[in-house]
Formats: sequence, C-alpha cells, structure tokens
Amino acid sequence: MFAGEQAELGKPSDTMSSSATTAKRTSTVPPASAGPKPPVSFSSSVTIAELAVLTGTYPVAIGSETVIHPRARLESLGGSITIGRRCIIHERTKIGYMGTEGKVVLDEDDRAVVLGDYVTVEVGAVVEASGTIIGEGTVVGVGSRVGRGAVIGKYCTIAPQSEVPAGVTIPDHTVVYGENKQRTDRRGVAASMMKAQAQQITNLRTKIPSNPAKFQ
Amino acid sequence: MAPLSPYTYIQCPCSDAPSQARPSETPTRDIAADQDDDDRTFDPRAPRSNYSLYPLEYLLYCEDCHQIRCPRCVAEEIVTYYCPSCLFEVPSSNLKSEGNRCTRSCFQCPVCIGPLQVTSLETPPDPNLLAADNTSSGPSGPYILACAYCHWSSIEIGIKFDKPNGIYSQLQKLRNGGQTRLTAKERKDRRKEAMSTGSFASTHPSNPGSDDVLDVESQFENLRTFYSHQLSESTSAAPGLSMSDLGISSPSSLARLMNYYNVGSLDPSKKGLGNSRGRARLGTFREALDTEEGLQLAQLDESASISAFKASTLSDLTTTSQRLSQAESHLSNLVSPALHGSSRLTSTLRPIPVLLRTKRSKRCPVCRHIISKPEPKVASTRFRIRLVAGSYIPAVSIRPLRVPGVTPPPPPDGLLRPLVPAQYLLTFTNPLFEPVKVTLATPSTTPGRFASKVTVLCPQFEIDANTDVWDEALKSGSSETSRRRDEGSKAGGVAEVGKIWERGRNWVSIVVEVVPALIKTEGGEELKEDEDVLEIPMFIRIEWEADATGAEVGAAPGTGKEVREKRELAYWSALGIGRIGSLGQLG
Repeated sequence: MFAGEQAELGKPSDTMSSSATTAKRTSTVPPASAGPKPPVSFSSSVTIAELAVLTGTYPVAIGSETVIHPRARLESLGGSITIGRRCIIHERTKIGYMGTEGKVVLDEDDRAVVLGDYVTVEVGAVVEASGTIIGEGTVVGVGSRVGRGAVIGKYCTIAPQSEVPAGVTIPDHTVVYGENKQRTDRRGVAASMMKAQAQQITNLRTKIPSNPAKFQ
Repeated sequence: MAPLSPYTYIQCPCSDAPSQARPSETPTRDIAADQDDDDRTFDPRAPRSNYSLYPLEYLLYCEDCHQIRCPRCVAEEIVTYYCPSCLFEVPSSNLKSEGNRCTRSCFQCPVCIGPLQVTSLETPPDPNLLAADNTSSGPSGPYILACAYCHWSSIEIGIKFDKPNGIYSQLQKLRNGGQTRLTAKERKDRRKEAMSTGSFASTHPSNPGSDDVLDVESQFENLRTFYSHQLSESTSAAPGLSMSDLGISSPSSLARLMNYYNVGSLDPSKKGLGNSRGRARLGTFREALDTEEGLQLAQLDESASISAFKASTLSDLTTTSQRLSQAESHLSNLVSPALHGSSRLTSTLRPIPVLLRTKRSKRCPVCRHIISKPEPKVASTRFRIRLVAGSYIPAVSIRPLRVPGVTPPPPPDGLLRPLVPAQYLLTFTNPLFEPVKVTLATPSTTPGRFASKVTVLCPQFEIDANTDVWDEALKSGSSETSRRRDEGSKAGGVAEVGKIWERGRNWVSIVVEVVPALIKTEGGEELKEDEDVLEIPMFIRIEWEADATGAEVGAAPGTGKEVREKRELAYWSALGIGRIGSLGQLG
C-alpha cells in the first residue's frame, strides 16, 4: 500500500518533461523519462528535433550547424558526448549506447563518444560508449554498429549493416564492409562529400523544426 | 536438441519405376522383385528416399498421365535468357557468340560483388552558382563504374569510359591502367608501319621476346590464322588431298594435324609408315615462331610481381573468392592479362559482367506434355501453364491433438515422450471440385532401428468437394451438412476408432495414435543423424470421379449426358511427427 503510493508520487516528477511531447502520437516507450536530463552546450545554429532523446548525467556538446533527427538517442550516462560541426545524426540512432556487451563503467573524466566534423550517423546505427572516436567526414551506415572504444579515422565509410569491433583502430579513408572486411577508399571525394553534406544540412534545416530550448 | 515442426513429404513415383530402378537385373528376378514390391513398405529413411521425397509445394502434376512429377524427373527447356540486372532478353544466337554474360552495361563489383553503377566523374554543377541558361546539359564524361557498397570504382584500375552506355564493349578495348587493347588488324597495321620505318630488328621473328604481351583472345586468334594458313599450304604442297576448303575446324583436318605429331608411334607395325609420312610432311609444316603467329613465351621473370607484392599491403591482395569470380568471368572478359595463376593484386581485378539467367518450361518425362511454362516476357512473373500438385492431391497437415481436460499438457521441450501414446490430428484438404475418397495405409510399426507403433484410427473416409465458399455459406443450414458435421467424434471429445475427428467444407481431420519407441543405444554406438525423429511412411490412395477428358467433347452434347470417369491416384508419403526425447531427459 505504502509502496504503491510512493510509486505514484514518484511518477509525475519523472514524466514531467515528456508530457509535452505526447501531442500527436503516444509511443509505448516512455520517451524522456528513462533517464536524467544531461547538461548541454549547443551551438546557436544547431538543429535538434523535439523528439530527439538526450539522457545521462554527463555533458553533451553539439557543434554548429549539426542536425539531430527526431528519435535519435544520445546517452551520456557514462561520459560526455561531443558532436562536431555539420554532423547529421539520423533517426533511431543510439550514440553513447552502453549495453550490447553488458554495462560499461567509465572513469570519471572519460569521454563516452567524440564525433568529429561532418560525421553522418545513418538510420538505426549504434555508436557505443567508452572513448569511441569517429573522425571527420566519416559515414556510419544504416544499421551498423561501432563497438565501444573503437577509433575510426577520417573520411571512413562503415557500410550498411556492418560492424566495427570494440577497441579497434581504423585508419583514415577506410571502407569497412561485409564481414569485417576493410579496404582503402581511393576515390578522393572527401571535399565534394563535405560540400554535399553542407547542402543537405541546409535542406534539412528547413524541414526539421528545431527546439534546442527543450533540452537546455 | 531443437524440437521439430511436423512435416509432410510426398514420394514422386519416378524413383519407383521398375525400369529405372533395376536396369541390370535379370527378368526372372524382376518378376519376383515386382511381387515383392507390392508388399514392400516404403522406408523414408532409406538412402534412396532422400532423392524422391518432396514437400507438396515442389511437386507438379501431369494431367495426361495423371501422375505426380517432381523437379528431378521433369525435362526442362529454356524459354528465355535474360540479364537479371537490366532485364534485357538475350537471344540464344547471341548467347553462342557472346557468352553467358550481359553484354550491355551490367557489371558486378570485383571486390564485393555488389552491382556497379555508371557515374559521371564530373561533379554535378552547383545549382546555386549556375545561372538558369546552361543547366539543361546533363552530366558529361568521362564515366566510371562505381560500387555504392564498398566504394570501389574503376578509377582504381585506371579505367574510364567515354560513353555511359555499352560499357561492355568499351571495357573489352581497355586494359587495366587505361591503355587501349589492339585488335588484330591494328596490330598488323602497326607492324607494317614499323617495317617501313626500318625498326625491323625489334619485331624480327628470331627475337620474339621483345614483342609485346598478347592477351588470350589475340593469341588464340593469331594461332588460328597461323595454323589454318599452314594447313592450306601443306595440302597444296601434297596434291590429291584437297582439304584446303575444309578449314581448320573440320574433323578430318584435325586428324591430319594429329598425324604430323604422330611420328614416334609406339606401334611397331605402323612405325615405318608413320615415320615416312611424318618426314615427308615435316618440312612443310612448322610451328609458330613469333607473336604474330601466336607464339607466347612464358614470362618466367617474376621480379616485377615480386616487387609489386613488396610494395603492397595485405588489403591490396585479392581473396580466393575474388579470384574465383574473376576466373569464372574470364571467357567473356578477355582483356584480363593471361597469367599462369590468376589475379593476385586488387589492381588486376576487372569488373565482372552480370551472369544471365533463364526462364524454363517443364515437360512431363513420359508424355512430353508441358506442365509448367512461364510467360516469356522477362518482366512478367506469370505462368502460362503451371500444373502444381497442390491443386490435384490433398494437402496433409499435422498437429498434436489437444482436448482440454483430457490430454495432458505438452512437455515444454516439444519432444515426444517415449512409450507414452500421443495422438495427432491429420487434416486432409481437398483441392478438387469433386468429392474424394481417401484410403490410408501405414505399417503398424515404423521402419528403422527404433520401431514406434502407429495406428490410424480412421483409415478410410471421404472429403467433400472444394466448392465455392459462398455456396457453402448459403446452404449451411441444410440437413445434409449438419448430418456430416455430427459424424465427427470431436463432439464426444474422445477419438473413436473408425470415425473421423472433424469435417469441414473441403477438409477432414482424422486421428493418428503413435507410441514413440524408446531410443536406447547400446555400448558406444552413436545415434545416426535424425534417427530419433518419428517419421511415418503412409500410403495414400485417392479416388474420385471426374469429367472424362479427351475426344468425347463432340459426342457429349448429342447424348446430353456427362461422361464421368473414375480416377485413382496412389502414392507414398512420409509424415514427420516429431523428435523423440530420451527417458533421462524427461525425468
């Protein structure tokens, strides 16, 4: 009896932040109530959808002109998340995910995930926490997974549905494809891809309503 | 051990035909064997049964022989060849001349076998910077083949194309690295040029090593012209044997060619003759001496490839599967360098032309009637004729019989308990528009080392016709159907001998009781694969009356009476019930 009352009492304070998001469609998953609200430092030109989920206790920093799609999930439960300039984080991605190989305990000053500039994380991709670094201009493909502590160089491509094992270092201009196969990208199209990324961001900014105030 | 979901396999009669089964045995034994055959129960575990048991969905049915046909016994005919990538139909005449790969612009990535796309190297103009006046021009060359998955592109092997279409023919003319490949005519022209300018020494026949390396196609072409030339010369030198008009590919010319090599015959009786003939002609017949005649010296100096290996990393080397796919496409990919081995570095890989596919029609092996024929149009997935067995013979589905309150709850692991009787429901669904009489027969124990007891409670029953669903729904109140419904023993809740369990519009379910055997291995004996699966061989015989087919069509209106004929079909099937657990497992 007493315990039930307490649960009821505890509920409103938890769901307070989420109640505003249930305007159109209610999800079966409780949205933001899963964790605490992290301290954020957004650049003024960030585009972040209202339905994006930021949880954790460590700071989340997002660089200028970066776009965060709705339902992207940024978890800074174990360490800070830093996202560079002009990145695109697509829907249903998990940045700073703690769980596929059991929970990880990070040190006090650990950085969970660092994304460089011009990084694209495509739909459903998972970037696990624990000092994971993704270099400039890298594309993490649809449904792929970057293991904890992996260090990915600049202008790499993680092909769709592929996996980067935990702790590996991947040199610049590498394509990871198939069953952990790697090859070097010799196209030399980094500059044009960055231009295309900037173009795409200007398009996305007109289409995704941004609400950074919700997270601050 | 994973539990097994019940299955029904049907034996195709093709494996049973005595003429095919025992071709070597004497007729007297055959008769005895035939008599034996009637009594013999089908053993689904016999090694031969592996090749004759099929799920119902795989089987076809010949309407003229009234027999089941399986994928193994039908005769296939190719209707069309087409490219799966561009869906372009390839005429069979092209196939003979150009090989079994797409000769348009369809290629697979040599690294990851993903499809390659033709893309322009020129970056599309920035719409912000350009005015509206010259935006109409599309992308222009040069073009490359690029893989969207692993980001391989033909730039890596130094190949660019001028046009976005007809990539196959463009690729045939390009070597890796971008140099054009010389055709035989161009080679000849170049040689003439060299002769006239005086640089004779470099192309002299006595110095063949200095000449450039030929690819396989050119070498073959050169050799062929050389030998046909030699042949015509030698025949004109020896009058009376005019074979110059026969050409190199005729068999007599081949025999003649072989004669030249037959000098040292081992047969002493022919030795003198062979020698004299050989000597007489050897003078007029010589071997190829230089590149133009098709001589290709083996490149034994491998220092170049060794230094290439030294300079490369592991990722520059090709994998086995990459080499294999290169070798497979070699016939249609003739520009690739003639190596002793195969492509060792990724820089020697070439795009793989897409393999063509076929659409096939199927014929009955006995009466030659077509029983399956797809639409010849490539884009269409329809069939013109498709006589699947599923629309002629009843489908059998198996599920455990559960009567609430009577049957004990199933074991959680889904295994059968040994020596504990279990009841299963077999549901027969009739696809025909006539009512069907079904007779079942099973051996009382299953064949094999572990004999389980099998009892079919109702081995003979009738299934109603596959009538229209709406007709059935409208007359559901009639007394006949209600009588039929009462006949089932489901109402009683206990399966009764000689009674069906339940009846529906075009289906009947009956009960089969099994007592699974005790799986016990003695000593160190291992259980064979799937020996613990309870599989029942069941002989199914169906009888029905159908409109007589054939020549009676003209006579029918006159008599005003429908000609009915009795049909019968009988076949063996194997019903997989489940896996038997061990006593210890079940406690």
